Amino acid sequence: MSLSSITAIVPILCVTAAGIAAMLAEAFREPGERMPISGLGLIGLVGAAISAGLLWGRNASGFGLVSADMFGLFFVMILIVIGVMTMLLSPPLVEREGLPGGEYYALTLFALAGMMLMAMATDLLVIFLALEVMSLAVYVLTALRRNTEASVEGAFKYFILGGFSSAFFLYGLAFVYGLTHTTRLDRIGSALAGASAAHPTLGLLALGLLLVGFGFKVSAVPFHMWTPDAYEGAPTIVAGFMSTGVKAAAFAALVRVLTTAFPSMHAVWYPVIWGMAAVTMILGTVVGVAQTNLKRMLAYSSIAHAGYLLVGLAASNDTGRGAILFYLFAYGVTNLAAFGLIGLLATHDRPNDDLASMAGLSNRHPALAAVFSVLLLSLGGIPPTAGFVGKWYIFSAAIRSGDYGLAIIGVLTSVVSIFFYLRVIVMMYMAEPGDAPSSPEPPRGAVFTLAAALVITFYLGILPTRILDLAAQSIGGLF
Amino acid sequence: MLTTIVFLPLAGALLLLLIENRDGRRDAVVRWTALGASLLVFVATLLLWSRFDPTRADFQFVERHSWIPSFGVQYLVGVDGISLFLLVLTGFLTPLALLCSWESVHKKVKEFAAFLLALESAMLGVFVSLDLFLFYIFWDAMLVPMYFLIGIWGYDRRIYAAVKFILYTATGSVLMLLAIIGLAWMHNSITGAGYSFDLLKLYDLRIPPKFEFWFFLAFTLAFAIKVPLFPFHTWLPDAHVEAPTAGSVLLAGVLLKMGTYGLVRFAFPLFPSAAAFFAPALAVLAIVGIIYGALVAMVQPDMKKLVAYSSVSHLGFVVLGICALNVQGLQGSIYQMLNHGISTGGLFLIVGMLSDRRHTRQIEAFGGLKAVTPRLVAAFLLITLASIGLPGTNGFVGEFLILLGTFRADPRLAAFAATGVILSAVYMLWMFQRVNYGPIVHDENRALPDLTRRERWVIVPAVALAIFMGVFPGVFLKPMEPSVERLLQRVNRGSVARTVQAPSFDHAATTGHGVTPTDARVKY
Repeated sequence: MSLSSITAIVPILCVTAAGIAAMLAEAFREPGERMPISGLGLIGLVGAAISAGLLWGRNASGFGLVSADMFGLFFVMILIVIGVMTMLLSPPLVEREGLPGGEYYALTLFALAGMMLMAMATDLLVIFLALEVMSLAVYVLTALRRNTEASVEGAFKYFILGGFSSAFFLYGLAFVYGLTHTTRLDRIGSALAGASAAHPTLGLLALGLLLVGFGFKVSAVPFHMWTPDAYEGAPTIVAGFMSTGVKAAAFAALVRVLTTAFPSMHAVWYPVIWGMAAVTMILGTVVGVAQTNLKRMLAYSSIAHAGYLLVGLAASNDTGRGAILFYLFAYGVTNLAAFGLIGLLATHDRPNDDLASMAGLSNRHPALAAVFSVLLLSLGGIPPTAGFVGKWYIFSAAIRSGDYGLAIIGVLTSVVSIFFYLRVIVMMYMAEPGDAPSSPEPPRGAVFTLAAALVITFYLGILPTRILDLAAQSIGGLF
Repeated sequence: MLTTIVFLPLAGALLLLLIENRDGRRDAVVRWTALGASLLVFVATLLLWSRFDPTRADFQFVERHSWIPSFGVQYLVGVDGISLFLLVLTGFLTPLALLCSWESVHKKVKEFAAFLLALESAMLGVFVSLDLFLFYIFWDAMLVPMYFLIGIWGYDRRIYAAVKFILYTATGSVLMLLAIIGLAWMHNSITGAGYSFDLLKLYDLRIPPKFEFWFFLAFTLAFAIKVPLFPFHTWLPDAHVEAPTAGSVLLAGVLLKMGTYGLVRFAFPLFPSAAAFFAPALAVLAIVGIIYGALVAMVQPDMKKLVAYSSVSHLGFVVLGICALNVQGLQGSIYQMLNHGISTGGLFLIVGMLSDRRHTRQIEAFGGLKAVTPRLVAAFLLITLASIGLPGTNGFVGEFLILLGTFRADPRLAAFAATGVILSAVYMLWMFQRVNYGPIVHDENRALPDLTRRERWVIVPAVALAIFMGVFPGVFLKPMEPSVERLLQRVNRGSVARTVQAPSFDHAATTGHGVTPTDARVKY
């Protein structure tokens, strides 16, 4: 164990330390004392960002289990952005929804640490470990509003199904180990290249079980059932955090596993991913149309977005993998900001997350309505926003690899998705104001975050070159 | 120069957003600022015209900057004889649109003007883009301000119309997006020079026939929906009827031209053999649209709807002229795009004025206006005649050239299209007669005010331009000619297999309208 092994995981350590600090702060807090715990999280995240920046381009690896390659670090950066946005948006929302502050921040930070580990792990066991660290924290976060029925129901569903999927994953891992006698991804890859021919059934089983586990975490159809309930039940900001962070981490691991450990079985997983992508896009958008609750709508939209990401994976070329990186960044910023914005509209006694409660928002909060419109249009993929460039990148990959069918399904479903994003805009701008009470003015930190999200959305939409190049560069190290 | 023109309106829109306008207290400031910005743009487009070299066929004022190098995306803009006048038209119509809503838009004036200016930027951007990626950005971004214009400031069923508008057009355009990506990828696989969205490079690309076929269909679907070509026209009446007057003017005046412009600039020259293959089918659809649009227009009780369906009919002519694939047809089409922008824009302005006065657009609610509002009726008459295509107005020149070109391509098509000319006279004059002649049956109409000074500023330029373009078509046709010929060379390189070859040079010559059989150019 050398020092460089430690340096590779410094970003994770920073976030973990911040999580511990948050717990301690809560434990030693005088009753009634207000403490800016989110600030602790921010400090940890800034530390993680600096260390990740220093690690960039060095390809440090830790213990042979974790790799701080550019692919992993790009995801770490996405997760840090998600984390910072969550920390900045949280204080008013935690207060309004009456969440226990210490637990909330500590669990969010631990979940982030798990996600980062998952993005950097190069060993199936470590991936599983990270998956569990992340999942357990998120299960609890989902159930944080424990006195509301929806929250308990959503968390219960999420936990039970999540437990199943973890079991599937572990079972798959066992088969992989049985087949190759190793859990390291690169060794699995080289072993499978020779061995899968000898035991085709075992290889299939291993791959299938792992895909079930991943499919659950990225909420791809048919493993998506928990998503709308969990998002609706979870505190709004947690839903935003889950829909972006969990998805990014799971995709990081999925891409790594499929391209490093299972390239020899491409012929097997390609049709599976293809089918999952198609069904996920279609179901996510079509069912999304029928939703009247904004959080459920965004849940289905996040399912659809998982479908687009799977298109990038199915393309199985460098363009596709680069597209996944860029898309997750764009999607992460816009989707989290959208959830945060819904959260800001809530008052103490009303969640205000129904479509109808958006009526006349442009009169009550013109700035919020404008920002929300831009975010929704970006999710719908209308230029000149980040979402458009992301979709364009994804479909470029699909066309390059000859997946015309997926590309056509993708663009058509994105038109359908525009329909339900537009419904919100219709309510905000064109419907008569309802009786929804005016929600309090959003605090400065939240406003800053939303403004930053807006700037990033346009920046990625108009001048994407820098990030596109970074994404393409990050893919280079992956094999 | 072009960049300035394209982004000037957007800068104006951003400037408007900075004006503090709570409860509409500074509406006047907002209105004048917006008008000032749009007039500035118009002056800039005129300046562009004056500096334009009409003898050259290639793109002028080209600006080229690297944008997303890893994908070969450039910021590439330029203008030629085909797009020049569409820019001027856009610059011309936007101030009129702002002026005509001076008194009819009261709610959220600032946002209204900002969206209108943003829309202008996107429209101008579509006409100057020579990079397909850039073009698509403008093409799609244009939907958003138009959606808001219809949805917030429209009439009763505005939300339905706005959503229908955006979904129809988006469906067409996403398939075009795939074709654009496919084309860029094809550039890489054929030339090995990487992705490219550069129109000038893609023009020279020889695409395998199978792909050309599909790409052409994807592009043409997007444009056909926008035009709108029968049977993709169903969004148009809704959008037109529900849009506020300013929205209708720009929708009819400029947005629909983006479809035909797209056919001329992209679909036909990029995929010449597919174009030659599909041109007859498109021509038939255009004819169906001409006659169908005219027949449906005839029975409309609502003036705005009547004008909307007349657009379907008129745009059919434009597509027909393009499908003729010869100089006359194409020039006539481009000329007719401008004419339609002015005359139909003018008609919407007039209908808007009438509906501002009576708060109804039903034809039966009017009658005998001639005695009450003589000036308004005079303007109405001139615009109506221009729309019908009476000799001496702009419509005549365009329709004549189109029919001439079509006749050379296929006389049968020309015969059918000519019935459209007759039908347009029927529905327009019948509507005009019911609104303006006869006894005054409704007492509300007895005291209608005539044109106000502001309205004169709105309608007089449109009428004057309609007549000017009818009398001096050469001013506009000359600068187009080199570009049109260059374009036809590109299209015709693939249409060698075209079966319908111009059979009737002699007919064209004997009509005595200045067509010489040798070079088949129109002289003035």
